[in-house]
Amino acid sequence: MSRLYERISTAILEGEPEKAADLVQKGLDQGLVAKEILDNGMVVGMGEVGVRFKAGDMFVPEVLMSADAMQAGLYVLRPHLVASGVKLIGTIVMGTVKGDLHDIGKNLVNMMCEGSGFQVIDIGFNADPEKFIEAIKEHQPDVVGMSAMLTTTMRAMAHTIKAIEEAGLRDQVKIMVGGAPVDAAFAERIGADGYGSNAPAGSDLARKFVGAA
Amino acid sequence: MRANYQVNSGVRFQMLSNDQLQEMFESVLHLLEYTGLDVYHDEGREILKKAGAWVEGKRVRLPSYLVKDALAKAPRSFTLWARDGNPKHNIHIGPGRAHFGPGPTCPNFIDVETLERRLYVKADVPLVAKVVDALPNIDFCESLGTVNDVHHELGALYEFAGMFPNTSKPIVAWSYDRFDSAGIHEIAVAEAGGQAAFEKRPNYVHYCEPLSPLVSTFEALDKLVFAARHRVPLIFTPCPIAGGTAPVTAAGIVIQGAAESWMGLTLAQAIQPGLPFFMGGVYSVMDMSSMILAYGAPELPLMMAGITELAHFAGLPLWQTGGCTDSKTFDEQAIIEGSMSVFFSALTGGDLTHDVGYTESAMTGSVFQLAAMDEAIGYSRRITRGIEVNEDTLAVDVIHNVGPNGHYLREAHTRRYYRNEFWYPKLCDRRNYEEWEMMGQTTFKDRTVARVQDILSTHQPSAIKPETEKVIEKVLAEAEDRVKEK
Repeated sequence: MSRLYERISTAILEGEPEKAADLVQKGLDQGLVAKEILDNGMVVGMGEVGVRFKAGDMFVPEVLMSADAMQAGLYVLRPHLVASGVKLIGTIVMGTVKGDLHDIGKNLVNMMCEGSGFQVIDIGFNADPEKFIEAIKEHQPDVVGMSAMLTTTMRAMAHTIKAIEEAGLRDQVKIMVGGAPVDAAFAERIGADGYGSNAPAGSDLARKFVGAA
Repeated sequence: MRANYQVNSGVRFQMLSNDQLQEMFESVLHLLEYTGLDVYHDEGREILKKAGAWVEGKRVRLPSYLVKDALAKAPRSFTLWARDGNPKHNIHIGPGRAHFGPGPTCPNFIDVETLERRLYVKADVPLVAKVVDALPNIDFCESLGTVNDVHHELGALYEFAGMFPNTSKPIVAWSYDRFDSAGIHEIAVAEAGGQAAFEKRPNYVHYCEPLSPLVSTFEALDKLVFAARHRVPLIFTPCPIAGGTAPVTAAGIVIQGAAESWMGLTLAQAIQPGLPFFMGGVYSVMDMSSMILAYGAPELPLMMAGITELAHFAGLPLWQTGGCTDSKTFDEQAIIEGSMSVFFSALTGGDLTHDVGYTESAMTGSVFQLAAMDEAIGYSRRITRGIEVNEDTLAVDVIHNVGPNGHYLREAHTRRYYRNEFWYPKLCDRRNYEEWEMMGQTTFKDRTVARVQDILSTHQPSAIKPETEKVIEKVLAEAEDRVKEK
């Protein structure tokens, strides 16, 4: 049995989506418990990806392939998790703030977060504070992520956080910020809960917020 | 299929025009024919005379046809082989290929533990060889020092005996005399599996140094004769100093140095036609205030570019110089001088570029400078590799598919190329401020020291054959016996 967990973990680590999906299906066919496939196989593989990325032994294109493999596995697993009442580790509302049309950085964080087990609600770019507030009300996320690429638009993060406070929703969510000009000091100054310097760091932070790291 | 499509696959660099090179070439022939050199080796003069040289006393002049004949006999392309057959450690000499390695014979060394300057000792040799073996952009090995703690006649032999087991990269060996040379050769041949096997796959190169201006010393030629007879690839490298032992002008030093090398070439090819031969060597200025041979002067890479272009014009590979500094310590000056010269060496295609890791104008060897230059060489090599243009690298379809405001990180095209298209630094830091802070706020110098110490504690070079170990013991014992009365 554990041999199959190991193979799933390896398929994720080596970024092989089809193989990951096949192996997850094989595990289900053999009667393995969905939650255990997730915890003992997939999450282990993705954890190793994080370790190697930080050590400089893996690079972003490979990490994304691993995230893809994770998603492919989850696609097979998700109905079984839902059926057995197991929830994903959390929900994230993610957007690029008002005035900023940059999409890529946020998309990368989304991919990484999905890869590490979150449901991600992407509200797109140039998202004004009202859009964040509506999404929080609708999806009840654990985490809100904001992205900005420019020094001129990063101020909109502060405005958005303020608007979330005024809407009385600040206590319900953890807020993380990121993007090229952002650093930890800025995050603290505007009242965010944390900052991720790159996509894997963002998903690590989200996992920490929900107590899964 | 394309027709008449010109490809420039790397960065092109040429300083001198073909007309200028032709003029320099003719000037070297003129010097050899009309001025000649003093040759302090009786047998060498005899061999040259028999080949057609004009000999009067010690003075030997070479008719130009003789030099051209020797140039025609020497190969431009050949391979220096890793002793263990590791193809990554082979060196393919040929047009457009630059290679790098340390230099020999510094009296002092930067201690790898204390980082302090002290005399170079026998125990330093294996450390340098290990670091050379591990660094990806260092291609051949020299020891960065003269062993001070053995009998004063045996430094070169102990040096080779210490390097050979600790790197499988080809070694450039110098020696005091032909006894050393014979001992070194015995060790190398034992590993190669006999003289015939060695001739097919030579695993070391013999280094000899004539004297500027215009002298072929007894020692240089005696070693040359030995190496040529045993078909050991040869480096014959003068070290002229502009304004001191050579003309002050770059053009003048280049032609004088070439004449000094080509006397060795002519003798070597008379003994062993077809012998791989590198002309040399170290060309720089005498600093007119400190009186040193400046290893960090801009004239060094400039003059080296001149002699490299002349060597390649004449069809010979060149023993080049770079990665060295006049700085006394591992500081910004060391990095600037070293990096600029290795970049120039890479651009000019210096066939074997030595003295990487020299500090204090060749007075002190430093594996830290060597490791820092490994990074600079990697950086330079990425640039000289140039831009590849073809349908796949143009990526027109990939751009079309990704479209506006998409991204390329997930493309198979990206995954296929990102490792080779980009160079990844080992010592230069690209992390963000927080990560850098978290990792201890290290400087380039800290990381270089850490890398060297990591290599020394973890790297395992491939072993030599047990029978070669016995030969090393025997050769050293015989040498000790030979010099015990001296």
